[in-house]
Amino acid sequence: MKLLELRTLTARYGAGDVLKGIDIDVDEGEIVALLGANGAGKSTTLRAISGLVPHVAGDILLGGKSILGQKTEAIVRLGISHVPEGRRVFPGLTVRENIVLGASNRGRLSRAAMDREVGEKFELFPDLHRLRDALGWTLSGGQLQMVAVARGLMAQPRVLLLDEPSLGLAPLIVQQVFKIIAQIRERGTTVLLVEQNAHMALSVADRGYVLETGRVLVAGSPTALWEDPQVRAAYLGGLAAG
Amino acid sequence: MAIFLQLLFTGLGIGAIYALVALGFVLLIRAASVVNFGQGQFSMVGAYLLVVCFNVLGLPYLLSMLIAVILMAGFGVLFAGATYWPLRHRGGLPVIISTIGASIFLENIVLVLYGPSPEVLPGLFDSPGIQVGPVFMDSQYLSILVSATLLVILQYVIFEKTLLGKKLQATSQDKEMASLLGIPVAMMILITFAYSAALGGLAGMLVAPVLFVSVGMGGLIALKAFAANIIGGYGSIPGAILGGLALGVAETMGASYISVPYKDAFAFFMLLMFLMVRPQGLFGEKISEKA
Repeated sequence: MKLLELRTLTARYGAGDVLKGIDIDVDEGEIVALLGANGAGKSTTLRAISGLVPHVAGDILLGGKSILGQKTEAIVRLGISHVPEGRRVFPGLTVRENIVLGASNRGRLSRAAMDREVGEKFELFPDLHRLRDALGWTLSGGQLQMVAVARGLMAQPRVLLLDEPSLGLAPLIVQQVFKIIAQIRERGTTVLLVEQNAHMALSVADRGYVLETGRVLVAGSPTALWEDPQVRAAYLGGLAAG
Repeated sequence: MAIFLQLLFTGLGIGAIYALVALGFVLLIRAASVVNFGQGQFSMVGAYLLVVCFNVLGLPYLLSMLIAVILMAGFGVLFAGATYWPLRHRGGLPVIISTIGASIFLENIVLVLYGPSPEVLPGLFDSPGIQVGPVFMDSQYLSILVSATLLVILQYVIFEKTLLGKKLQATSQDKEMASLLGIPVAMMILITFAYSAALGGLAGMLVAPVLFVSVGMGGLIALKAFAANIIGGYGSIPGAILGGLALGVAETMGASYISVPYKDAFAFFMLLMFLMVRPQGLFGEKISEKA
């Protein structure tokens, strides 16, 4: 069943179109990867879904209903949680406070419910438990990424938008992050993943889309994408050989 | 030594007023990236509201203050709607100019309503004060200090111990990320304006019995509070409190030991010294990040 649908979506910053009529479907319970070079429009796609791009046309459907033109806060309440590029963990708040704020879209939660849910996130990210009282600015890149994902999951999203979760992380941490992304899907959360590391993204994704200058160049299963010579040469780099 | 302690007490009392207004400045800078040059006029409007409630309507003093503070909170929301909201996507400068315009407008409206003669308000207490060792603690300065201390504690509790406080902090640190979490950013900014106006208004009410209530009372307080903000560290909450207290003590000591006519000059001399020697202020926030 289609959960998220982008229909002929265009997005504009200033004079130029960044997205030029893309169509993307995300089925319930799957991980879909958006791949492409810098400037292809991957992050803009996520920002458009979250209502952060002012000039958008076409349509965005969540569960068959249009969310185009709604405010960001309303879109989050409908069940789309966005973990943006750069993690954006609040530097002056502790790890626990950051995670708690992730539930801001869900109305008032009892203290017991909040404690239980935060505890569940610490089970998913055990390293964060000992850092629960550390301020955001003191964390390493990998720790920040874990806080950002844990915070995104507190929204109990229907769709989790992940923007470049591996950016700037050590290879070992990247593997850890992608293992967690696979676990998130196993728990039933749908994920739309923007990633430059095509090898890692396609290792967890059910399907992928390759964007080029605001258009969908090719879409398909990870195997189909690996086998497309044009895609391998231009967008998946030498990694595809692996 | 007795004179020094006496001056220290008085300076801290005056400094607490600057600190409260500076706190209002800082909160808006952090939450909405707005330098509100109407902050001083919040003090003036607050003091006049107390005049209306107490002198005109004859309500009890504390009830008058409470009503005036609540009205100031509402006034803060109106102020935000008029000066900030329509220009919020246009960058910092148009909003600054808008707040300057609003401050001139407010002064002139009050001038039309009340005229240029200052209004007199009695102190919060009938007793002139208490003697503690060599220091005579004037009841009004004492109430200013106690109120400021209570407000700082209240602010600490709200910002550090409540979910609302965490949302306000998140909004001040990264508005876009806050909205991505479903935090109602516009509401958070309006709450900050309301709180900031209530804080400024209360500062005006507390200082009114000492300075008299006049149309121009807000301008100088705001200038000193802004200086306190720079001295403490632009955008720093502890800096605003410490900067305000330091400024109050410096100008009181300077006026008493050196020259009364140059009382105001000491505060700005201190500001100049900081700008030359330690431009990041006591708590070292970088201006370049906020501008």
